[in-house]
Amino acid sequence: MNHFDCKYYLNTDVFKGICKRDKIVINADDAACSNFENAQKCKHCSNYSSVQTDLGTCMNKYDAYPEMLAITCNDYKQR
Amino acid sequence: MKDIKELECASEIYNYYGAKPEGEILNREIKKEATPRAEKERQMYFDTKSSASVEFPYWYTRRWEELEGEVQIIRRAEALKSGFEHLTPSVLPGELLAMRKANYLRGSYPMPWMSEGFFLLKEDDLFKEVQNAAKASADEVTTMGQGGGNVTKSIGNIISIAGKFGLRKEEMPILIRVAKKWFNKSVDDIGHKYEQFVPGYDTKEEIMRAVICMFDSGYTLPQGREVINYYYPLQFGIEGIKDICKEKQAKCAGVPGMDRLYFYKAVHTMLEGLQTWILNYAKEAKFMASLECVAEQKDEYLEMAERLEWLSKNKPRTFHDALQMLWIFHVAVLNEDPISGLSPGRIGQVLYPYWKHDIEKGILTKEKTIELLECMRMKFTELDCFASMGVVGGVLSGNTFNNLCVGGLNKEGDSAANELESLIIESAMSCNVPQPTLSMLYDEKLPEEFLMKGVECTKIGTGYPAWVNNRVAMEFLLNTFGKEGMAPEEARAWAIGGCLETSPGSWMPLEVNGKTYFIPGGSAPATSVGVHFISLPKVLEAVLYDGMDKRTGRRVYPAHSLKLESYNDLWKIFKHYFSITVEVLTLTNNIQHDIWGKISPSIINSMLKPDCLEVGKDISNKGCRYNRTFNVEICGGVNLVNSLASIKKNIFDDKNFTLNELKAAIDANFGYLSALETGSYSLIEQVKTANFMDWLKIHKLCLDAPKYGNDDKYVDDLFKEWQIWFSKMCENYISLYGEPLYSCLISVSTHAPMGAVTLATPDGRLCGTTFADGSVSAYPGSDKNGPYALFNSATCYDHSLSQNSQLNMKIHPSVVSGREGSRKFLEMIKAYLRKGAFHAQFNVVDSRMLKDAQKNPENYRGLMVRVAGFTQYWVELGKQIQDEVIARTEYEQLG
Repeated sequence: MNHFDCKYYLNTDVFKGICKRDKIVINADDAACSNFENAQKCKHCSNYSSVQTDLGTCMNKYDAYPEMLAITCNDYKQR
Repeated sequence: MKDIKELECASEIYNYYGAKPEGEILNREIKKEATPRAEKERQMYFDTKSSASVEFPYWYTRRWEELEGEVQIIRRAEALKSGFEHLTPSVLPGELLAMRKANYLRGSYPMPWMSEGFFLLKEDDLFKEVQNAAKASADEVTTMGQGGGNVTKSIGNIISIAGKFGLRKEEMPILIRVAKKWFNKSVDDIGHKYEQFVPGYDTKEEIMRAVICMFDSGYTLPQGREVINYYYPLQFGIEGIKDICKEKQAKCAGVPGMDRLYFYKAVHTMLEGLQTWILNYAKEAKFMASLECVAEQKDEYLEMAERLEWLSKNKPRTFHDALQMLWIFHVAVLNEDPISGLSPGRIGQVLYPYWKHDIEKGILTKEKTIELLECMRMKFTELDCFASMGVVGGVLSGNTFNNLCVGGLNKEGDSAANELESLIIESAMSCNVPQPTLSMLYDEKLPEEFLMKGVECTKIGTGYPAWVNNRVAMEFLLNTFGKEGMAPEEARAWAIGGCLETSPGSWMPLEVNGKTYFIPGGSAPATSVGVHFISLPKVLEAVLYDGMDKRTGRRVYPAHSLKLESYNDLWKIFKHYFSITVEVLTLTNNIQHDIWGKISPSIINSMLKPDCLEVGKDISNKGCRYNRTFNVEICGGVNLVNSLASIKKNIFDDKNFTLNELKAAIDANFGYLSALETGSYSLIEQVKTANFMDWLKIHKLCLDAPKYGNDDKYVDDLFKEWQIWFSKMCENYISLYGEPLYSCLISVSTHAPMGAVTLATPDGRLCGTTFADGSVSAYPGSDKNGPYALFNSATCYDHSLSQNSQLNMKIHPSVVSGREGSRKFLEMIKAYLRKGAFHAQFNVVDSRMLKDAQKNPENYRGLMVRVAGFTQYWVELGKQIQDEVIARTEYEQLG
C-alpha cells in the first residue's frame, strides 16, 4: 500500500503530502510505513461496486470511483 | 533620416525599442523577514503544485441530478450544499486560519455546470463539436509559465490540465463521466444555443476565431472583478442570517413575487451546507490535535476547532474570529463559480472595530496582528482559479486578483486610513507574496506618513500598492451610478474589484461591543462582464485587409471595398468595425449572463451583497443596490494609436509611402522572422530575414512616427479622440440589466496572446510580439522624454470617463533608494495623480535581474513582478509576458 491510501496521509498537492503522525513530507505514491491504516475511501465501502478500472457505482445507482475520499460521506459503510 | 547603409550597420535598429539588459545586477533595497510561521507556510507554498480534484463537482452533479424538476435556484442551492458538505477538510500544521477551496494547498476544481467541453477527451465526438464552435482559439496562442507551481506536463500518475493543474489519473475517468452529464446542459452549451438567435452571430464566431475578442465572460468567469461584502456574517452570524431567511420566507410565501421565497429558501439551504463544511474542518482540527504531541500545536488545533464551531453559528467575538469569518465566506463565494478578481476590499476598515477592541483589552498585540495578517496573505496566495489555458494563462497569468484597498475616505469624508491598515502594509512587506495585492486609494486627506508607508512598500519591488486616485474614481462612480441613486457619501465606499475595476460600495452599520461602525463593502455584481477584450490592433488589421483575418484567411467583417484614400476614411471604417464588434458581443454576452442567472445563479455572493437579502432577489435579478456593471474592455490601445499616427503622418501627411506599400511591408513583417518563429516576444531580440533591407526604409519611418508617451500633441490628440469616442460609444449598448455599458481600460495579460495573433502593425511593432500593457502605458522603449512627458500624454483626456486607466512604469532601484528616494518617488506619484490621472503602478527592479531570472529561473522562485494590475511570481508567467516586462522602459531618473 502507498501513502496515498493511508488514513494519516494529508495531501498538499497531487504529488505529495504530509504524514499527519510524523509531520514529514512524503510522496503520495511511495510505499507506506508500518503505521499504515486504510483511508476511508469508496473502495473500502460496502456500498461501492466496481464496474471498470477507476469507475464503479455507489448504492448501485450513482457513478462513483474507488479512490474517492469518503470521510465526509454519511452513507459510508466499512466493507 | 539616416542613410540606408548607415542604418544597415547600426546594430541599434535591432534594439530600437529598449536595450538588452547587460552588466551587474542591482538588487532591490529593503528585505524584511516574515514571521517564522508565515515563512514556513511560504516555503511549503513554493514546494507545492497547483492541483485539481473532482470531489466538489462530483457531489454537486450527483445532487443536481437527483433534483430534476425542482425550482432551479433550489436545485442549485442543494447542489452547492452537497458540494460543501463533502469537501474533505485539510488542516496543515502551523495554520492559524482554516478552510481552503479543495483538499490541496493550491487546490481548485473544474465546474462543468459552467462549461464542460474543456474536460472531454480529445478523441471524443463531443470535444470536436466544442472545437468547431471556436471556443478554444485563445488557448492555442497562449504560453503558460514553465516554473513555480504549474504542472506543465503529465508525469507518472499525474495528468496536466491546461498546462497548469495536476489531476491524479484515477480521477480522470470520473471527471469525464461527470463532464458528459453536463453536455447540452451547462451554461456554456445552453447559452451557445440561444446566442445563435442574435443577428450577426456568424460574425461573432469569426471574431472569436480571429481572437479579436479574447473570451466569453458568461462561460468563463461570470463573477468577479468586484468587491465582496462581509457585513451580514459579521453582523448576524450564520444562524442570524438563517433567521432572517426564515422570517422573510414567512412573509413572502403565497404573496405575488414568489421568486423571493425560493431565493430565501436557497440561501437558507446553502448556509446549512456551509455550516457542515465548517464543522467538518473543526472535526479535522480535533483529529489533528489528537495526533499531536507538541502542546503548543495541540492547543492551536483545539483553538481552531473551538473557533470554527462558534463561527458555524455565531458572529465573531474577536479580531481573529472576524478574520476567520471573512476567509470562510471569501472561499465559499469562490467555490460557487469560476471567479477571478473577488476583492476583499477595505478590510482594514472592516476589521478595525474588532482589532481596536482586542488591542485595548490586551488580548491582541501588534506582533500577533502581523502574524495573523501574514497568514491571511498566504491563504489568499494559495488561491487558484481553475480555467482553460486561454483564460488562466492568457488572461490571468495564473493570478486570482484579490485586491485589498487601503486609505480613501470614510462616510463623513475624512481620511479612512487607520493603524490596522499600516500593519496590513507592513505585513505585505514582510510577507511579500502576490496576494492579496494592495491598492492605495489616494486622497489629499491621507496622512503623509501613511503615504510614505505605501511608498516604502512599493519600492521594495512588491509591485503593490498600486496608486489609485480616490477623487477620479468617485467622479466616475457618481456619473455611472447616479441614476441608481448613488450620493457622494456612498461614492466614498468604493474599492477596487479585481486588478483595477472601480467598483461601487455602500456603508453598512456594524455593531461591535455596543458601538456602531459604518463599514465599506461591495454593493454591485461583477464588473468586467460584458464585452471582453477587444484587440484594437487586430480590428485595425481587419480595416487594412478589407475585413479579413490574414492569419486564418477567414472573413471576419463585411468587406468595406474602399481604397482608404484619406485618414478619415480609415478612421471611419475602424469605428464601423469596432461598433459591429461591440454590438454583436453585447447581445451574445447578454444571453450568456441571462442563462447563467437562470441555470447557475449566484446564491452565496448574492446573499452577501446589499440589498439582495433585503429585497429577496439574487444578483442576476438585480438584487444589488447598483447594477450598471457591464463594460467593454479593450487591449492594445496604445499600439492602435501609434499605428494611426504612423499611417496619418507617413501615408497622408508626408506621403512617405502608400498604403499598399505599407501592407506589403506588414505582409513581410518588415523583413523579420515572426515572434512565433523566434520565440521572442518583444522588439529587443528579433531576427532579420535575408530580405530585411527591402523593408528597412519603411520600417524605420514607421518606428520614427510620433509615439504616445512623449508629450507629442500629434499622437496625443489621436489618443484623446479615441478615448472620448470609445467612452461615448459604449453607452449606445444596453446590458442584460437594462443599463448602458461603459468603457474599461485594462489589458490584464491579454496583450500577450492577442499580440501573438496579430501581424506587424503600422507603428513598427513586429508580428506576434506583445502589445503595450495596460491602457496608458507607453509601448516598451518608445517613451523617451522622461516620466513627466509620459504623464502629460497619459492625462490628455479625462480619466473619469471610464472605469479605469492603467499606467505601468519600471523604475531602477537606484533611483528610489533611501528616505530621500522615497520622498521623491511619492512626489512623482502625487504629481501624476494631481493631473487627474486615475492609476499608476511600478516595477522597481533592475531589468538585468529579470533577464537573469529568465535564464536561471531556479534561482528566482520568490521573484515577483508587476504585470498589469497584479503582481505575480516571475517563474509562473508565460514567456510572452516575461519578454514584455523585460522590454519595458526602465526609468533611471524621476525628473
